[in-house]
Amino acid sequence: MDHPGFFSLAILWMVLWGAIGGAVIHRAYLARDLDVTAARTVGVAVGAATGPFGLVPLYLRTPTLTRAWQALPWIGVVTVFLFAFRASDPDNVCFTSGTFVTSQLVNGLIMGTIYGLMALGLALIFSIIGIVSFSHGEFYMIGGMVVYYMTEVWAPGLGPIAAVIAACAVTFGIGAAFERAFFTPIYAGKVERPNEYAILVTFGLAFFLQYLVQGLSGANPVKASPFFELPRSEWPAGAPIIETTRSNIKLFDMISISTPRLTAAILSVVMLLALIWFLYNTWTGRALRATAQDRQAAAVAGINPGRMNMLAFGLGCMLAGLAGAVLVQAFSWLPQTGAIPALRAFVIIVLGGLGSLPGAFIGGLILGLVEAAGAGCVPDPTRAAAYLPAYGMIILTLVLLLRPQGLFGRKV
Amino acid sequence: MITLDVKDIRKKFGNHQVLKGVSFRIEGPELVGLIGPNGAGKTTLTNVLDGAIKPDSGTIRLNGTRIDPLHPYEIARAGLGRTFQVTRAFRRMTVLENLYVPAMAMDASVNRKEMEEKANEILAFLTIDHLRNEYGRALSGGQQKLLELGRLLMLDPDVYILDEPFAGVHPSLMATIYKWIERVNGEGKAIILISHQMESIFTLCRRLLVLNFGDLIADGPPAEVKNDPAVIDAYLGVEEDMSGTGLLTQEASHA
Amino acid sequence: MISHAPKIAGSVAAALLVLFPLVYSAGNYDFVMHLWITAFYYAILASSWALLAGYGGQFSFAHLAFMALGAYGAGILDNYVFLTSLPTGTCTEFGLLGTNIVFLPPAGTGDAGACLTAARATWPEGATVSRFPLLLQIAFGAIVGGGAGWLIGTLVLRLRAAYLALFTVGLSEILRAVLSAEIWLTRGQAGMPMSPLFPEGITILGTTYGPAAKLPAYYVMLALFFATLSLLLWVARSRIGLFLRSLREDEDAAEALGVDTVKWKRAVFVLTAAIAATAGAVQGHYVGLITPNTLVLLQMSLVIAMAVIGGLENLVAAAIGAILISFALEFLRTDFTILGLEVDMTTWRLVFFGLLLMLTLRFLRNGVIQGALMWIERRGVGAETVAKRRAAEEAK
Repeated sequence: MDHPGFFSLAILWMVLWGAIGGAVIHRAYLARDLDVTAARTVGVAVGAATGPFGLVPLYLRTPTLTRAWQALPWIGVVTVFLFAFRASDPDNVCFTSGTFVTSQLVNGLIMGTIYGLMALGLALIFSIIGIVSFSHGEFYMIGGMVVYYMTEVWAPGLGPIAAVIAACAVTFGIGAAFERAFFTPIYAGKVERPNEYAILVTFGLAFFLQYLVQGLSGANPVKASPFFELPRSEWPAGAPIIETTRSNIKLFDMISISTPRLTAAILSVVMLLALIWFLYNTWTGRALRATAQDRQAAAVAGINPGRMNMLAFGLGCMLAGLAGAVLVQAFSWLPQTGAIPALRAFVIIVLGGLGSLPGAFIGGLILGLVEAAGAGCVPDPTRAAAYLPAYGMIILTLVLLLRPQGLFGRKV
Repeated sequence: MITLDVKDIRKKFGNHQVLKGVSFRIEGPELVGLIGPNGAGKTTLTNVLDGAIKPDSGTIRLNGTRIDPLHPYEIARAGLGRTFQVTRAFRRMTVLENLYVPAMAMDASVNRKEMEEKANEILAFLTIDHLRNEYGRALSGGQQKLLELGRLLMLDPDVYILDEPFAGVHPSLMATIYKWIERVNGEGKAIILISHQMESIFTLCRRLLVLNFGDLIADGPPAEVKNDPAVIDAYLGVEEDMSGTGLLTQEASHA
Repeated sequence: MISHAPKIAGSVAAALLVLFPLVYSAGNYDFVMHLWITAFYYAILASSWALLAGYGGQFSFAHLAFMALGAYGAGILDNYVFLTSLPTGTCTEFGLLGTNIVFLPPAGTGDAGACLTAARATWPEGATVSRFPLLLQIAFGAIVGGGAGWLIGTLVLRLRAAYLALFTVGLSEILRAVLSAEIWLTRGQAGMPMSPLFPEGITILGTTYGPAAKLPAYYVMLALFFATLSLLLWVARSRIGLFLRSLREDEDAAEALGVDTVKWKRAVFVLTAAIAATAGAVQGHYVGLITPNTLVLLQMSLVIAMAVIGGLENLVAAAIGAILISFALEFLRTDFTILGLEVDMTTWRLVFFGLLLMLTLRFLRNGVIQGALMWIERRGVGAETVAKRRAAEEAK
C-alpha cells in the first residue's frame, strides 16, 4: 500500500461521520415526531458515505425513509470505501488486473455456494428448533472424514458418490440420535434456560466429537484424492475458450477454477435442488416448513413436532456433513478442521437473518465474495491469509450493530 | 398530585398501525380499566407506557415530567410500575430475593432491616409468607401473580399498570388481589387495570378506556361505556365473556 | 435455617492450602506444586466465568481472549519497556522521577534492544537497567483486559444468548489470528518470552528461593485465587449479585423494576475480564512464555466444562470443579494398552470430558458440586414452608 496514512484517515473519517450521523439523525427524527425505526441506520450510512454534505440536508429535510433511503446510502459507503482504497493503493492487483478480479469473483461464488449449503443446515435447525448448534463445524469435519476413509481406506472401489451418501447417513444419524438424547427435555419445558442449555450441550458435543475423531484417526492431516480428474484438453484448439488440466479449468484464458472446488460446488447445487424438491414436494418436507412457520398450528394439523425436530436437526447436521464431504477433496483435513467453517456458518446465518433459508444461501454467496476480495486485495499476502476469518467477523459486527435482524430476518 | 398524561401515541409495526394516536389523562388515585378485544393494542400500549417499546410519535408525561424518551428502568424509578400478562417471577431466586430487587434498585443504600421487615409484611399481606425462602419457580401460577404484585409494592410507584392480574388465578386468591388493589388505591396511587374478566373490571373501576384497532373509542364511567354503540360494535361477535355486563343483552335483543 | 457447614469446610480447606507447600515433601514436589498452580489458575478463570455466565447469564466465549489480552499486555511491557538510571540518548525514551523509561522498537522492525545494548556499553559502573515493575505490568494487563471487557460488554448489550455466543467465539478467533500474524510485535506462534515472577529470586522467612522455585509462585497464585474468590463472592452477595441474577432470569422484568440492566451487564463484563486478564498476566510470568495457542477453543471448552461440572451458579463450586478437573486431566495423561490397542490418553481424556460435560448438563443441571452444596444449604427450606403453612392453617 502506497499511502496507508491516507487510507487510515479515510476510514477514520467514515467511522466518525457514521457515528455522528447515527446519533444526530436519530435525534432529528425523534424531535420532529417522525418514524425513527430506520433513522439511526440511515444516519450512519449517509454520514459514512457523504460526511457532513449529506447529513446537513438530511437533518434539515428529514424525508420519509423509504426502502431506497435504507439501501442506496450503503452502496455509497461501499463506493467511497473502494475509491479510498484505490487512491491509497493504486497498484493493487484488484484494480490493475481484470483477469484477477473475474477469477476471484468466480472462485468467491463457488466457495460461497458451499458456504451457503453449510449455513443452510444451521438455518434449518434454527428455524425449526430455535437453537444455534455449536457442533456444526464438527459435522462438517466428520462428513469429510467419512469420505476420506471410504474412498481411501475402507472401500476405494465404491466411488466418491457412495462415500458422499455414506457421509450423509453418518452425520444424519449422529445428529438425530443426539437430538433425541439431549433436546427432549427442552421441549418438555424442563430446562430453565433452553437457549443457554442448547449452546452448552452442543458445545460439549463439538468437544466430544472433535477429540473422538482425533482419538480414532489421529491428529495428522489427511487428504482425499479429487473425485474427478480432467484430461488435458483445449476447446477450440489454438485460441482456447476452455482449457483444462488435471485439476484446473481455465476459461477465456483468464478465469482459473480448481476442479475439486468446482465439482464440490456442482454437487452442492445438486443437493440444494434436491433439498428444495424435498421441502416443497413431499409430505414430510411440507410438514417441516409448516412447523417452521407455526409450530402450534402444525401440531394441531397432526404433525408430530418431536419427529420434525429430530428430522430438522438430523438434516441440518447432514447438510454440514455434506459440505465437508464435497470439500474434503479440495483441502487437507484435520479433526480441528471444523472450527473456521462453523464460524463462517454463524456469520452467514446472522447476515441472512437467523432462521431464513434463502437468507442463509444468499449470505453464503456474499461471504464467499467478501472473503475472495479480502484474500485477493489486502496488500500484505501473508496477513491476507491469516485474517481470512476476520473478514466475516467484520461483517458480523457491522450487521449486529446496524441491522441485528439480518438482511432477510423478520423485525425483532 | 399524581398525573399521567398520554398524548397522541402512535406506533407502527411494519405496515400495521397498532396504536393510532391514543390520548388520555389520569389524575389522582384513579382506578381505570383498559379493555378492548384481542389485538386492540392493549399490551403494546402497556409496553409503550413502561418504555419497553418506544412510540413512533406522541408524548407521555408522569407528574409533569416527560418519560417517553427514558429507559424502562428510569421510568420505573420515576414512578410507573407494571406487571406482565405472562407472569415473570425471577424463577431461580427466592421469594424474598424477588422482593429485594426493586427495593435495592430504587435505593442503593436502603436499610436492610427495614427492607426485610417491609418485604415480610407484604408477603404476609399477600398470604404467601410461608413461601419466602422458596424459589420463584416453586410457586403456583396464582402465587407468582401475587409475588409480582408484591414486587410492585416494594417498588412503590405512583402509577400501577396491571396486565391481566386475574388470568389463571385460583378463585381463593382473587380476594387477595382485590384486597391488594384496595390497599394501593387507598394509599392514593393510580391503577390501570387491563383484564378480559369484565365482571372484575366493572366491579372495581369507576372509569373505563376502550381500545379497538389502536383507537381509543370510549373513555368514561362503566355505565356510559356499556351503552356506547361504538363499543358494542367492537365487541360484536367476539368471544369475550360479556355476560353480566349488559354488553351482549342489546345484541340479543336485536336478534 | 441456612447451614454453616460449607463455611466451616471452606475455612479448613483454605488453611490446608496455605500449609500444604510447607508440609508436603515427596520427591515429586515441583510437579505437584506445578499442578496446584495450574489448578488455581483455572479456578480463577472458571469462577470468574461463573459470575459472568451463571449469575449474569452472559454466556461469553471470549473469557480466554481477555486472559490473553492481559498476558500479552504484560508481555509487551516486559519485553519492550525498560527502566534505566541513565538516558540512552538513542532509544525512544522519556524521563520520569529520576528514572528513564525506555521503549525498545518491537522485535520485527529491527534488532530489539540494540540501542539499549549500545548505550549500556558506554555507561559507567553502577548504572542500572531493570524490567518494567512486575506489579505495574500485571496492572496494565488487567486494565487492557478490563477495557476490552467494557468494549465487548457494550457491543453485545443488545445481543441475546445465541448471538452473544457467536459473536464472542468469533472475537476470540480474530484475536488468535492477530496474535499469530503480527509477528513483529508478538513473535507469532513462537511465543513471547516473559521474565519469571521473581527474576532475582526471593527470600521468605530466611529461606532463599531461586527464580524457578515453585513455592513463591504457589503463594502468588494462591493469594490471587483467594483475592479473586473473595471479591467475586462479595459481588455475588451484594446487591450487584442480586441485580445480575434478576437480569439473568428476566431482563425485561428486571428493567421494569428499576434495575439498570445495561450498567450491570457492562460492569460484570469489565470485572470478569479484568480478573481473567490478571490471571493471564501472572500465569504468563510463571510459565515464562505466552503463545496464541492459549486461546484455542479447547482451552475455553475446558474452562466452561470446569464451571459447568462444578456448578455454574455457585462460584465456589465452579472453583472446586476447576481444581478437581485440572488434577484429573493431569492424572489421566498416562497412555495404556487395552486388547492390543494403544490408547492415547492425551486425546481420550478429552473425549471423556466432553461426554462428562454433556451428561452433567443433561442429568445434573446444577453441576456436581453445586448440587451437593445446595442440598446442604437448603435442606431446611421445604420443611420450613410446610411447617409455616400448617401453623397458618391452625391459626385460622
